[in-house]
Amino acid sequence: MHDDSRSLPDHPASVRAPWRDIRQVSVARSIGLMGMGAVLGLGLAGYALFTARGTSTLAVPAEDVALVNQQPISRSDYLLQLQALYAVDLQHSTREEREKVLNDMIREELFVQRGKELDVASNDSEVRSAMVNAVELEIAADALTTQPTEAQLKAFYTAHQGNYASEGIMTVHDYVFPKSAAEQAADAVHGLKSGTPTADLLAHWGAKDSPSVGDEEFYFAAKLHLGDRLFDVARGLTDGASSMPIEMPDGIHVLYMVKNKPPVPYDFAAARDQVLNDYRNKAIAHLSAGDEAFLRKRANVLIAKDLQ
Amino acid sequence: MRIAILLIALIGIAGAIEVQREHQIALLLRADPDSIPANPSLMKFALGRGASGYRSHCAACHGDDGHGDAARGIPNLADGDWLYGSGEVSDIERVVDYGIRSANPKAWNLAIMPAYAKIHPSRTEPKIAPLKPGEIRDVIEFLLYLQKQHADPAAVARGAAVFSDTGGCYDCHGADAQGDGAIGAPNLTDRITLYGDGSAAALFDSIAHGRQGICPAWVGKISPAGVREIALYVYTLSQRPGAARPPSSAASSHTETSAARGARG
Repeated sequence: MHDDSRSLPDHPASVRAPWRDIRQVSVARSIGLMGMGAVLGLGLAGYALFTARGTSTLAVPAEDVALVNQQPISRSDYLLQLQALYAVDLQHSTREEREKVLNDMIREELFVQRGKELDVASNDSEVRSAMVNAVELEIAADALTTQPTEAQLKAFYTAHQGNYASEGIMTVHDYVFPKSAAEQAADAVHGLKSGTPTADLLAHWGAKDSPSVGDEEFYFAAKLHLGDRLFDVARGLTDGASSMPIEMPDGIHVLYMVKNKPPVPYDFAAARDQVLNDYRNKAIAHLSAGDEAFLRKRANVLIAKDLQ
Repeated sequence: MRIAILLIALIGIAGAIEVQREHQIALLLRADPDSIPANPSLMKFALGRGASGYRSHCAACHGDDGHGDAARGIPNLADGDWLYGSGEVSDIERVVDYGIRSANPKAWNLAIMPAYAKIHPSRTEPKIAPLKPGEIRDVIEFLLYLQKQHADPAAVARGAAVFSDTGGCYDCHGADAQGDGAIGAPNLTDRITLYGDGSAAALFDSIAHGRQGICPAWVGKISPAGVREIALYVYTLSQRPGAARPPSSAASSHTETSAARGARG
């Protein structure tokens, strides 16, 4: 043990309690500091214990309106429900409206908790479907919070440039001749060089102007109306051009193109909105596949021998 | 010993500051969101933190000043015109929390602009049929007429018929084409457009290819207090002097500032 009295200097400025002199060993100071450390430690531990997520508590956190078996009912959900049910905000709601919404939400939470206890998901297909859907949406929501950079979008656009073009537009006439009128159809091809034929000329050829086309329409609609084979011919025609006679089961067709505006590839600026959507959809699909792979990897799946 | 006392004092001060902060956060969360702007002390507490949260989570798309980008369909948050709700703090908070078409079940996701130049214009509404290019042009003439711009009367009549019949546009935008903030359907009479410059070509693009912009959901990723602080900050962006106010009718749309054009919050 160190003798405190021997180290005391003679001059008056140094005359002070031993526990205050850092150069001297002091039992009182050691115990005091230890006590303060213990109190501080207990304080911090208590704070962490009673504020950590998942900790059982008697106080309702400020962001919640209730705790049901420690499961929070969030204030934002409560306000949303109030708005959905009564179309009012908190300020303009009545006490009865607030109570009704809160009671409904507590009831819902109690039943959800009971549903978990009963494991309703194991035998209720609707619950199973809702849970699968909810997890998929959760994955998608995670993917959507990540905003791709312009460089990433441009790279995606470059890799899928063929997908980004305007919708083609055409105005085409489809003249249908009887199968026996091959000569008239050949004549019509020449006659059409001077423009769309009159009704009299059509009657002279014995042809009919198909009512399914003739108006200006998008490529997809023209394809639907003409059928794949005729559409493939039509899309290659320039303005004012007519096709050679095309034999089809319902007769001989001659196409006359009034106006053909093929799809125009979009530059990045014009396509950006679509590129962003496609990029996000791909990111969601990628994340979803990754999550499924992870779930499968960590799961213990046993398959019956006859199905292996 | 002095060091120990100083340390304890510092810890005490830090503790007091933390307690005061927690108290302010609790007040902020328990207050009716729409009443907070009238409370200067809560606003002062929230705005600095809200600005920081906005810069971290929202500015990447909406820009530091909140003016968005019409070329990318990013809404202007500072023009006082709101697509979803009416611009109250609670409306903004809901968007920050749950997003728009964000895949969150509570997101705003009712309205999706169909792509009328596609064989199936809407995935969710199979009854909506495609339109012909001429019909789209007629609808645009009708919209230009509603916006008090020059339009061909015959095309306007045809466009009106498409709008209120075959196109089904009235279903979301309303028979008067003034939109519906409850589902995020824009007012088509006010010349404020989310995508592009409001020209006939830009309108054609929107009608032909559809629109379905996304705002992510931040619930669970930002604390409830953080969400409210961001909502309050965004609210103040639209309340600044010079922010264009939404027109009360089609007639007043001519008086809007050019800053408000081309964007919609």
